[in-house]
Amino acid sequence: MFDRKIGVDMSVNTDRRGFLSGATAAGLAASSMNLDILKAESLSNELKKSGKRVLLLWLAGGASQLETWDPKPGRLTGGPYQAIQTSLPGVQISELMPKMATRLHNTAIIRSLNTQIGDHGGGARLMHLGRRDEPNLKYPDMGSVLARELGRPDLQVPDYVSFYTATEGRGNAVGQPGFLGARYAPMFLTTDNKPANLSRLEDITDLDHKERADLRALLSNRFAKGRVSESLGSHNVAYGRVRGLMSSEKLFDLSDEPQKVKDRYGKSLFAQQALVARRLIEAGTPFVKVARAWWDSHGQNFETHLELVTELDHVMSTLLEDLEERGLLQDTLVVTLAEFGRTPTINASLGRDHFARAWSASLTGCGIKGGTVFGATDEDGQHVKDNEIGAAEMFATIYKAVGIDPHHEYFVGARPIPLVDPGTHAVDEVLA
Amino acid sequence: MFQADPNNFRELRTTSRPDIILRMTRNDDTGEVFVGSSDAKVYQVDPMVEQPEFLAMEGHTSYVMGLVDTGKYIVSGSYDKSLIWWNKETKQQVRRIEMAHDRWIRNLTTTPDNKFVLSVADDMVCKIWDAETGDLVRTLESHIKVTEHGFPNMLYAVAVSPDGKLIATVDRIAKIKLWDFETGEELKELEAPKCYTWDPKARIHSIGGIRSVTFSPDSTKVAVGGIGQIGNVDHLAAAGRVELFEVASGEKLHMFEGDDKHKGLVEQIIFHPSGKWLMAVGGDHGGWVQFLDVEKKEVVKQLKAPMHVHQMVVTSDFKMAFGVGHNRLAVWSFEPEEPMEEKTEEAAG
Repeated sequence: MFDRKIGVDMSVNTDRRGFLSGATAAGLAASSMNLDILKAESLSNELKKSGKRVLLLWLAGGASQLETWDPKPGRLTGGPYQAIQTSLPGVQISELMPKMATRLHNTAIIRSLNTQIGDHGGGARLMHLGRRDEPNLKYPDMGSVLARELGRPDLQVPDYVSFYTATEGRGNAVGQPGFLGARYAPMFLTTDNKPANLSRLEDITDLDHKERADLRALLSNRFAKGRVSESLGSHNVAYGRVRGLMSSEKLFDLSDEPQKVKDRYGKSLFAQQALVARRLIEAGTPFVKVARAWWDSHGQNFETHLELVTELDHVMSTLLEDLEERGLLQDTLVVTLAEFGRTPTINASLGRDHFARAWSASLTGCGIKGGTVFGATDEDGQHVKDNEIGAAEMFATIYKAVGIDPHHEYFVGARPIPLVDPGTHAVDEVLA
Repeated sequence: MFQADPNNFRELRTTSRPDIILRMTRNDDTGEVFVGSSDAKVYQVDPMVEQPEFLAMEGHTSYVMGLVDTGKYIVSGSYDKSLIWWNKETKQQVRRIEMAHDRWIRNLTTTPDNKFVLSVADDMVCKIWDAETGDLVRTLESHIKVTEHGFPNMLYAVAVSPDGKLIATVDRIAKIKLWDFETGEELKELEAPKCYTWDPKARIHSIGGIRSVTFSPDSTKVAVGGIGQIGNVDHLAAAGRVELFEVASGEKLHMFEGDDKHKGLVEQIIFHPSGKWLMAVGGDHGGWVQFLDVEKKEVVKQLKAPMHVHQMVVTSDFKMAFGVGHNRLAVWSFEPEEPMEEKTEEAAG
């Protein structure tokens, strides 16, 4: 349901009020699945204290691997853009990424994803959840898992922020805490880069607000006394975070960011959201997703990618430089990912269609062995030639890079649920 | 003179190719045909034979986007940013200008006297080259390099008026610049904004642009081609669009738009020597040829082509047309189909 008045997607929890109502509902859902998210131990307090974070650049609609990380110069499938030499000996990427080509020292390129699902909805779900859906179990997405495992309750910041401004494909941008409960739902920003209704109302003083919260807690605790209910617990934990979330509002406001920093990122919406993401990461938010839509270039692939890859190259390289200069990159994993790539075969509209059989992603920063390329496709890019991996391996690699054991298990009732499907291995070749 | 009639226009034959043939040039005196391909090669080919042989000329490293015949040389331009002068007999390179432009070359044309070659590229510069020596004579530069939305602009096409006095250049954001050939002065800017679709909300990128430009035979009008406004910019999901302007006043005289069965880009526009009608070719996943009547101000005939047509050349007598495009080379005729011989009683059995 899209509420035009406040400009947020109410199917997920964006603002404070939504966050609270959602928390109650999800607490009930979690309760019905017999998962006590409040009692369940997180992986490690040490891990939380380590300050690891993940920033996902979600290339919604499916960016072309041939015009980014896996060019095929000289082949009929290669398209018009040439490959350029990067800072890594023997490694070339598309000439549309000249800035990234000079700074791959922190980056691992994965050129061997075969994720099999070639429709937007299915592909996006897979690449958010790391596994296929199951009828009787609602899995959390990557952001919710990372929010839970890396989020620090002592920090006054949201755990999971998701930007998705374009309307196309927004419904595919899964942000679901699943059995973890709404405590780990995303703050989902759509029409504005700032969360709606996060500010305290002007006619309520800060003292007033605090006393109201205290009164609510008193009544709630009295009601909860002697009752055993996960939903009540989830409800109270969610309320407990309200004042922290409110104080984080300034992170979304770029007005106090130096002009030269804003100029460096650029004026585009994607650039501004990347800058807000850096501010959130710097403040300790463990997971931020910035979705850049829409890459679905069935017609005029090369014009679309000239626009969007040029923008991606600038924003991504600026973001990485900024994180590195601030000493944040060693603890921040920056991921580029989409629901799939695009067909090597060029259609008559000079477009490329959906292609999940052989595509690329990138991992930069925290836990990554920079300057590596993993996997390879054949000379036309039609098939994975070496080291094929799927979504599960990609997720295992992301989790392991930030210190999370991908084989850690949650329990829903008596059923153990590992973070990734059993038998999945992380790609150790790209891990530091 | 032969009176070409659009109603007689018909496809004679097609030749399949694995590549996308993007450009074509034909010397009307000699009948020589050269084509430029997505496989980075220039080919000489005789489209009149049943099974044409493609003789490759190798030198570029990306799509060949411009191809002209100066009489003495073939000149090609490519996404690899280079221009190559070719000896037509030996098929060898005579001259190569490695970085003729800073960004991808989109198209070439010549002056009517074949003394100059003009190139346009995504550095947003039109360059005029001496066709004989390869010397750079002049640069024309005023198209903006970055759109108001922060994306790279693209300079798609260039034309020289038949009287040799004017140059027209057209870009992604649907601006048309008219230049004085002799002085290089920018004379006028026209625009066809419906040819550029910026989607600020659903997909946040653009599609379209003016892809083709030509002057009328009397040099008084300029026609530009592209695609109309698109709802879903993932696809070429609008009818092809041609807009006709009067050069002197800059007034838009008319807009031609095909029907919903003929969607896609107008890749090229060709005026009939009478100036009374013109042809528009292009396509999306399929291709088409349209005939536009300047006096009636309407699309008088549309027909499917066997492929998305990237370029077409018509013989000066307007009897034959040759087109190249997606995986095909095709030949059409304007000559009326000869009536079937009446069957004799004996032959009928």
